[in-house]
Amino acid sequence: MRKLAVVVALAGLAALAALVLPASAAAHPLGNFTINRFSRLETSGPRLYVLYVLDMAEIPTFQAGRIDPQAYARRIARNAELNVDGRRARLIPVAEALAHPRGAGGLHTTRLEVVLRGPVLKGQSSVIYHDNNYRGRIGWKEIVVGAKAHSISDELRAYPKDLLQSPLDVTSVVTQLAPSPGPATQPALTRGRALQAPDRVADSGFARLIGRRHLSALVIVASLAAALFWGAAHALSPGHGKTIVTAYLVGSRGTPLHAALLGLIVTATHTIGVFALGLVTLSLSQFVVPDHLYPWLNLVSGLLVVGVGAAVLWSRIRRRLAHTRAHARDHHHHHADLGWRSLVGVGVSGGLLPCPSALVVLLAAISLHRVAFGLLLIVAFSAGLALSITGVGLLAVLAKRAFGRVGFDGRIIGLLPAVSALVILVAGVAMTARAVPKLG
Amino acid sequence: MRIRLVLAFAVAATLAAGLLLGGLFRDSRGAVPAPPPEAAAGALENELGTADTASLVRTLQTTLRRNPRDVHSYDLLGLAYQQRARETGDPTYYTKSEGVLRRALVLAPNDLLATSGLGSLALSRHRFREALVLGRRAVALSPTTARSYGVVGDALVELGRYREAFAAFDRLAGLRPGLAAYARVSYGRELRGNVAGAVAAMRLAVDAAVDEPEPLAWTHVQLGKLYWSHGRLAPATRQYRAALAAYPGYVYALDALAQVEAARGRYPQAIRLERRAVNTIPLPQFVTTLGDLEHVTGHERLARRQYALIGVIQRLLVANGVKTDLETALFDVDHGIRLERTLALARLARRERPSIDGDDVLAWALARTGHCGEALRFSERALRLGTRDAPKDFHRGMIERCLGHDVQARLWLRRALGLNPHFSLLWAPLARRYAS
Repeated sequence: MRKLAVVVALAGLAALAALVLPASAAAHPLGNFTINRFSRLETSGPRLYVLYVLDMAEIPTFQAGRIDPQAYARRIARNAELNVDGRRARLIPVAEALAHPRGAGGLHTTRLEVVLRGPVLKGQSSVIYHDNNYRGRIGWKEIVVGAKAHSISDELRAYPKDLLQSPLDVTSVVTQLAPSPGPATQPALTRGRALQAPDRVADSGFARLIGRRHLSALVIVASLAAALFWGAAHALSPGHGKTIVTAYLVGSRGTPLHAALLGLIVTATHTIGVFALGLVTLSLSQFVVPDHLYPWLNLVSGLLVVGVGAAVLWSRIRRRLAHTRAHARDHHHHHADLGWRSLVGVGVSGGLLPCPSALVVLLAAISLHRVAFGLLLIVAFSAGLALSITGVGLLAVLAKRAFGRVGFDGRIIGLLPAVSALVILVAGVAMTARAVPKLG
Repeated sequence: MRIRLVLAFAVAATLAAGLLLGGLFRDSRGAVPAPPPEAAAGALENELGTADTASLVRTLQTTLRRNPRDVHSYDLLGLAYQQRARETGDPTYYTKSEGVLRRALVLAPNDLLATSGLGSLALSRHRFREALVLGRRAVALSPTTARSYGVVGDALVELGRYREAFAAFDRLAGLRPGLAAYARVSYGRELRGNVAGAVAAMRLAVDAAVDEPEPLAWTHVQLGKLYWSHGRLAPATRQYRAALAAYPGYVYALDALAQVEAARGRYPQAIRLERRAVNTIPLPQFVTTLGDLEHVTGHERLARRQYALIGVIQRLLVANGVKTDLETALFDVDHGIRLERTLALARLARRERPSIDGDDVLAWALARTGHCGEALRFSERALRLGTRDAPKDFHRGMIERCLGHDVQARLWLRRALGLNPHFSLLWAPLARRYAS
């Protein structure tokens, strides 16, 4: 079972990656007019080397026109200021590699790597290094010391997307360096396809799907699949009435058909709910704060569940009484006792609360004038939601059957309907109790 | 074990939600508009009232790493990121600001500061309808918070709903007189043609902005532009220099100063200043001015290079799903680029942004493609507030001329030149020729 959980999680992540990656447009992750600079100071044998990486986004690449890597390397060497033991040391470009990875809008970006050869160190030396290239231009500026030292941006290949990290702005370093054992071999440059393919994914997500300019059939299908998956994943986070659905289906001798019907009802309710809330948000935003509606919706769905739970419990009790009286005549003969009304009630309570993320997607679609596409995405999202809930319900139904076949203990099975009704009732009361204090 | 399974899925779901929300309103356009003093309003939110945004950002980042559920710190960090974006011109901070504010909203869905912060972010990205929705929500959450009225009013101005916008500004000024309020009152008066009143209000804004370098520089530039738009070069220059003193290397001041130098015929100085601005942040309007400067000084090849860069910026905007900006449409019309296609662009831009500027650009595009009757209708709309703006008067003059109303044409052209004889590097000479 534990293995299963890991497998499921991995599969989920893989699916997510598969869905997200083709959708994200390639663009420079730090904005399309940045010039990013990286230097790595290292000793190889007695000699000091600087590996310099220049990463230019779309606009500076265009401004640069044709790039002569040697000329660039010379200029970079001139503006990289190295002082060893208080004396200015020369840096000489000895190797360079240039590539133009694809960026946004069919434009190109630039990645230039240069190896700068510094002086031979005689023992422990104090080193001061200033990078004066492209001063005043926006971009990621990073310097690391040591051949094995970690680079936060992986030498300008993958910029951190951490929200709590400002773009790095390091243009000088003061350090001590000593010759390392072994012969002097100059640092290696990136070659071939690796040079062509740094991380060009600025960020990825749903908006990309909505914001696409040309909606090809493939894009639409992929987007819908992504929405479906997101919905399914979302339903598995806490809430969303999974407990109630499970308890209901288990207790009421539900069949797979019932589980599917429940899913359908959840999808419909959720879709309608999101549309309605979207309308309210757009047209009545002066008068109603959608967030103020949430506690009320919570209350309604809580009360609904209480109602269903109470009704089911009542019918069980009545049946039980009748059953005991009729025991002599009729030996163990249960009927499927799924009332349509309670089925709808459970489904509606599961889908009544519109997921805020779905709402956000709708609003984005509207602001992009892609209402129809947005609606489609939300239907898919709701369907995913329902799929998960149905899946959980189905699991419960099948599990119960399996237990039943093993023939555990007749008494436990016999008690199940009443217990499940109680679970529903308690869950409903809990939901209601949680909703009430937030109404104020 | 089921719990484990659910947990594993919850992680996947959270990841998905993060991607979902994180990418939603992202926009790495090359153009960062001249920003409204919204973050400045945040700056007055005493905690942000420090002169050094960068160190405030660091402090908040550390706080949040230690306590990742601190909603208020997320709010402040989101606003501080927006202020950093304004200071550095680095759009990465917008993305980060959005992520941080959304996280605040996840923790506290009714959080006021995060809601209005997202609103001001939408404004910075020219998403005015979205900004309006967010601003209105913020107002509904707390009707006595001044900040939210700024967001609502700014969005309404860009959507051409001036009466409601001015009401929002009045409400803002009534609730909290200060930099944010004065700057908007000034803008409202300028729109209605009350220049003296606009200058007076912007002076108050300058006084209110002391101790905050970037907002101070911003208000100086705005005040300078008010003088500039009425041909008063000397006081305009003083304001721009004050802006540079308050915030060294302030690109908007460099650009404005370049235009003054050009008006005085000192083209090499103008080109040097504008190039500095472009090299720091290649905003389309800066690149346009640089190209025009190179064009009028006879450096045709260099000018073409700048104009080509505008084309590249446009492509990037399109690639990022940004609806074409009004500025881009205006550039194409001014430079006679694919006029028929540009007319469609201008119509689209006006639909997105039905302000008097939208009307004006569309009128100008119509006039340049020979639809002068329809152009007149939009020009009348563009001037309906009584705004005294030389380019708008010039466009009207050209439309009247196209319709054969020579007397009116000369009147409008003279009015434009009377307001600001240097209103445009490209068009002022033509206006002079036709006006006499």
